[in-house]
Amino acid sequence: MESNKKYWKGLEEYNSTPDFVENNKNEFAEPLPIEDVLSEAGLSTVTPRRDFLKALGFGLGAVTLAACQKAPVHKSIPYLVRPEEVVPGIPNFYTSTFNGNSVLVKTVVGRPIKIEANPNAGVFNNGTDAQAQASVLDLYDVSKLKSPLLKKEETTWTELDAFVKGELNKVQASGKKIRIVSSSLNSPSAKAVVADFTAKYPTTKNVQYDAVSYTGIIKANGNSFGKAVVPKYNFDKADLIVSFAADFLGTWISGEEFTSQYVSNRNYKSLEKGKMSRHFQFEAGMSLTGTNADTRITVKLSEEGPALITLYNELTGNNLPGGTLGNNTTAAKALKLVAKELLQNKGKALVVAGSNDVATQTLVNAINVAIGSYGTTIDLDNPNKRYEGNDQEFAELINEINRNEVGAIFFLNSNPVYDSVNGKAFAEALAKVPTKISFSDRVDETSDNCDAVAITPNYLESWGDANTYEGYYSIVQPTINPVFNSRQAEQSLLIWSDNAVQDYYQYVRNNWEKNILPTVGKTWNEVLQLGVVTATAKTAGAYTFGLSLGDVASAIVNGSKAFAKANGKDALELQVYESIPMRDGKHANNAFLQELPDPVSKVTWDNYIALAPKQVSNLGLKEFDILTVKGENGYSIELPILVQPGQAMGTASIALGYGRTKVGKAGDNVGKNAFPFVTVSNGTLKYATTVTVSATGGREELAQTQTHYSFEGRNIIRETTLKDYLKDPAAGSGNHHKHKVYDLWTTDKHEMVGNNWVMAIDLNACTGCGSCIVACNVENNIPVVGKDEVRKRREMHWLRIDRYYSYNQEPGAHAEAGHGGHEASSINAVTKEKEIAHLEENQMNNVSVVHQPMMCQHCDHAPCETVCPVLATVHSSDGLNHMAYNRCVGTRYCANNCPYKVRRFNWFNYWNDSRFDNYLNNEFTQLVLNPDVTTRSRGVMEKCSMCIQRIQAGKLTAKLEKRPLKDGDIKMACQQACSANAIIFGDKNDPNSEVSKALRSERTYYVLEEINVEPGIGYMTKIRNIDSETKEVHA
Amino acid sequence: MRNISLIFKKAWKSAFVIATLSFLMVAGAQAQDVAEGRTLFKGKCASCHALDHDATGPALTPKMSLDETYLVAWIKNNVALRASGNAQAIEAAKFSASEMTAFPTLTDEQIKSIIAYAKEGEPKKAAEVGAAVVDEGTSSLSIAGVIAIIILSIVVLVVLGRAVKMLERLILQKQGIEIVEEDNVSLVSGVKGLFKNKKFVFFSVLCMVVVLGSFGWMGMWDTGVHTGYQPVQPIKFSHELHAGINQIDCQYCHSGAFKSKNSTIPSLNVCMNCHKNVQARTEDGQVSPEIQKIYNALGYDVDKQTYDKTKEKPVEWVRVHNLPDFAYFNHSQHVVVGEAAIRKEKGLKPEEPVCFACHGPVNTMEEVYQYSPLTMKWCINCHRDADISDKKNDAFYANVIAAHEKIKKGEKVTPAMLGGLECGKCHY
Repeated sequence: MESNKKYWKGLEEYNSTPDFVENNKNEFAEPLPIEDVLSEAGLSTVTPRRDFLKALGFGLGAVTLAACQKAPVHKSIPYLVRPEEVVPGIPNFYTSTFNGNSVLVKTVVGRPIKIEANPNAGVFNNGTDAQAQASVLDLYDVSKLKSPLLKKEETTWTELDAFVKGELNKVQASGKKIRIVSSSLNSPSAKAVVADFTAKYPTTKNVQYDAVSYTGIIKANGNSFGKAVVPKYNFDKADLIVSFAADFLGTWISGEEFTSQYVSNRNYKSLEKGKMSRHFQFEAGMSLTGTNADTRITVKLSEEGPALITLYNELTGNNLPGGTLGNNTTAAKALKLVAKELLQNKGKALVVAGSNDVATQTLVNAINVAIGSYGTTIDLDNPNKRYEGNDQEFAELINEINRNEVGAIFFLNSNPVYDSVNGKAFAEALAKVPTKISFSDRVDETSDNCDAVAITPNYLESWGDANTYEGYYSIVQPTINPVFNSRQAEQSLLIWSDNAVQDYYQYVRNNWEKNILPTVGKTWNEVLQLGVVTATAKTAGAYTFGLSLGDVASAIVNGSKAFAKANGKDALELQVYESIPMRDGKHANNAFLQELPDPVSKVTWDNYIALAPKQVSNLGLKEFDILTVKGENGYSIELPILVQPGQAMGTASIALGYGRTKVGKAGDNVGKNAFPFVTVSNGTLKYATTVTVSATGGREELAQTQTHYSFEGRNIIRETTLKDYLKDPAAGSGNHHKHKVYDLWTTDKHEMVGNNWVMAIDLNACTGCGSCIVACNVENNIPVVGKDEVRKRREMHWLRIDRYYSYNQEPGAHAEAGHGGHEASSINAVTKEKEIAHLEENQMNNVSVVHQPMMCQHCDHAPCETVCPVLATVHSSDGLNHMAYNRCVGTRYCANNCPYKVRRFNWFNYWNDSRFDNYLNNEFTQLVLNPDVTTRSRGVMEKCSMCIQRIQAGKLTAKLEKRPLKDGDIKMACQQACSANAIIFGDKNDPNSEVSKALRSERTYYVLEEINVEPGIGYMTKIRNIDSETKEVHA
Repeated sequence: MRNISLIFKKAWKSAFVIATLSFLMVAGAQAQDVAEGRTLFKGKCASCHALDHDATGPALTPKMSLDETYLVAWIKNNVALRASGNAQAIEAAKFSASEMTAFPTLTDEQIKSIIAYAKEGEPKKAAEVGAAVVDEGTSSLSIAGVIAIIILSIVVLVVLGRAVKMLERLILQKQGIEIVEEDNVSLVSGVKGLFKNKKFVFFSVLCMVVVLGSFGWMGMWDTGVHTGYQPVQPIKFSHELHAGINQIDCQYCHSGAFKSKNSTIPSLNVCMNCHKNVQARTEDGQVSPEIQKIYNALGYDVDKQTYDKTKEKPVEWVRVHNLPDFAYFNHSQHVVVGEAAIRKEKGLKPEEPVCFACHGPVNTMEEVYQYSPLTMKWCINCHRDADISDKKNDAFYANVIAAHEKIKKGEKVTPAMLGGLECGKCHY
């Protein structure tokens, strides 16, 4: 059975709005000024002979003068004393750790330019996230401070040290408390430093809080099993995954790691063994994880708790009160099915919930005990140490400050004025603390309220370590000397507490040699090389659940009753969440992240209020209309509407991390701050509340990339179900019914006798997270263009991830026609704009999503090549489509003729134009550029080069070593970053290469293969683990 | 003015070259000895000895007054000499704790020529000859400039002359003196007549168009081509001395060339490997001002032999070979992978380093200049012609070449056949 699903990129396409239809006709956003030329003076003007001669003369003179230049003088400045390990032109790699993930840092002549995954990193070994990829840009951020500040004046470290020590002595004499406010501190050495500091100043306490808190899970585990930890989740061991609003492939705890675990049961290797996990997602807003679920059921925020109670009752036969789901019959049906399947998969199933509510998480624990997850899919004995923040301690801190008990406060990697539950109140309370010191690299919202800013270096300039899991340690080592006059926070604390060891490097090393190295049997130098070391993991034990659930259930019911206010069309349940690009806003000044489209909404440079389509029409509004969103606490912001298919009716979603006011050129005042919507309930932070919305009458177009390029409804995505795949591996791929091929180039075949570089992309592995996009940007010096330019459809990303929606239900009679025909006709039954039937709007809640990475397909019969008038884009003998920037004259014919719309035009000199000041337009930030890739000039085309610099470098290494190239020697930047291993690159001429094997898979199809451009990139069909029973849920 | 003085300088130098050559012919054998001695000295002795000041070894010129037989024996094998109980030798060895290397391979004649050189000191004429030869390469641009100036001056002179004549005539007219027209009236009218001859005018204009056009055409092709570009460097480093006379391998300093895309300009610690000792002191005992520049850059105090990091100041060399940013060139690809093919293509002698293929005879360049045009045409010609059949046995190339040979039997294998002409191989 071929799929006859209808796919659409966005609601514009779905609704065929006049704008969309109009825009679709044009290749470029602005119309060509042909009409103007013809209608105005245009052709009828007369150019007098004298004017012509004048222009000619001037032109000749100008060209002659310009050509008269002398040889350009370039300076070459060698090292005075070259470090032994540095050879200009050859990159060095150092291990380090970003956000608890071990990475490799690529440096060229001493400057870090790229982050790659560390192959030694064990559980994280598959890739890096977008934040890690973008983090090199933070190092070269011009908005950072250049020297420490004391009372807002630049100062020296000697003066600052004298000031702080004086203040600390005063505090100690007065007996007041000292507080170090930090986000979760998972560095063993930093913890030791804080302990030493506490020994010197005994009133010190480290208050850990996380902008997005996991206190609920920690406390629930403490209550249920006496282990107050975040457990280690093993998604790879789960055949059935049920998630209640946990975005575990994106932002929940450690998304990258969960992605590789999750995908290991769903990628092409697993499918070849006939195995694929099943994933149910119950959620209100459309999350990245929700887009990847086999079956996604929308539940309102107020229904999450009752849904869990229902599931528990179904599983155990108990009858906890509160398990009523109102009129959400879909969810009720789904929960019955889920319960049945969970019982069938005992010991091979996992239930997770994104809530930070202790009662909810306790109930989840009870469910997981009932299905035998502990010891298999959940490991409490090797806990995850990423998040240890405690919401109650932070609340208590504010009380202490208000009672005037705190004498000195330090902020370490934390910015509570911006991201704590009530930042404004915190800022006001802060005035009562006599001494306030911030460890920050810039004057951020909190530092602005502090007496001194002890500026800290970027992690690429620092020593340190991380302990992400029990027994799993990684090292942070500097890859460049501190660029500014900064000092690590830990070193400052050592100096201020008169520690015997005042050099933090020595301190880290001592700490490792004393405490960590003996347990792992490695030497310090080995650690620096490996980046990570692991002690033998403890055996994961099974746990029993002994708590009475009566109180838990009533707490949950009370929790959902709190949403009762959200009962009108203007009163909504609001969920605030971490978006994939921006997360908690710590890296808001990173232009790469600001321009990374949200994987679901494809919005850049902004946050928005996501509403269900029906909700918007009920309000009588349209997409991009601006709403005033007012919270329970009176906080209100104005945000444009994004119409989000799949959003639960009666709910709204707003991303956190935006609306920073003091972060720097790129991130200031981008979007609105949603942290003040966070509430406290039962001692933990709650990321859901009720709001009222009202239209302001204004309108603001969001900078979206999704509708920029259209496929005119062709059959781009091929999809099937696991059941069909098991019967016929080629199901849905269209491979049984190939078009007859007509070849224009019968006599002019490309002989690819050496290598033939190709790529295979597994649509079933790709989660759409977007870290490949940032990796590609960094590797290939792709400029950031900013919000206005994105609106004009001028984003430069060589690699984009297309997101297609489709209905979960066959659209009535229309679909029947497709079914009726034989298979071949169903291939033709592809979505055409006018063909999309208007569904009932509530069906729009039940959409499923496919993500498709799209870049230059390196067609062997490339349409772009034949239309280039200057031969700037030509084919190579190893299967690549070359682009010679300096030959390009910018006709843009190639982009017009590209069926995949992957060519990008440089409208500006982005690194030398004051309009792009928030990115590359300064010498310091330009240090991030990859020296092996040309920076393109204004007026030329560019596109994915298949990382040709990496191919050439890999080949040269093999040539110098006089050996044949091995499969895997060369890795693309996108492939390197992909945690899901969805991108496979290699030589098609080598029958044993991984890519050849992948392309031989019967699932492989080529996008638009019917036009016979012979693309070099094969896609493997998307497979959903659904069957008649899951389909029944939505009926 | 500078151009005119250049002409004089050139003329003078040519005269000097002729004079020197005739002098050298007369001077004959003895000068030959000194020259040979200089070469030997630079190769064997200079790393430890200077002529006029103490280094690792003592200053040599003062020692040359000693008995020649003794000197020869000492230089050949000082250890043996001391072992034989020569008191003078034992005394001399006390100069330093480090022992002098023995040179048993040197013949007596060679040693004598070294002694002759050490006695004589630096043969200045040789250097002058070298300089004159280098100057022969003054660019055609300056010659054109000279010609232009000469023509311009002639025109100015003629105009001025006519003006003077006119003025004189006016003065005379005022004084009422009758002017007798000279005979050249007929000449002027003759020239005027010539200009009225249409055939002549047409022919001259045609000639001018052809000449100017072809000059223009050729000039256009050379736009942006900087062959012969020889910028003034912050330190007068002589490749002739280091690579030529002293035979230092290119890789000793440009160590990156064999492993990296950059050949790498050596960092100053490489210079100091030798120049800690080799100070080329002047007659008044000062360290050579050029070597002093190295010391200044490193903050090195030559007397105390200490480094002061606070005084460090990098040397800003001027790049001679400027490839545009959009062209990727990798040294190791050419000097290691393509060495044999390039040697064959460019007809290098076995003793010449492969670098000479593009950089020219660096060992004779007092100051380095751009030898090759570095145009894309120049790159491509080599990629088209070079024979890389030698790679048949190389594991990396074996399969590809075998496949090609199947298709194009008997043809020479060139980089172009393996995709070496494709845009993306150099432009990305």
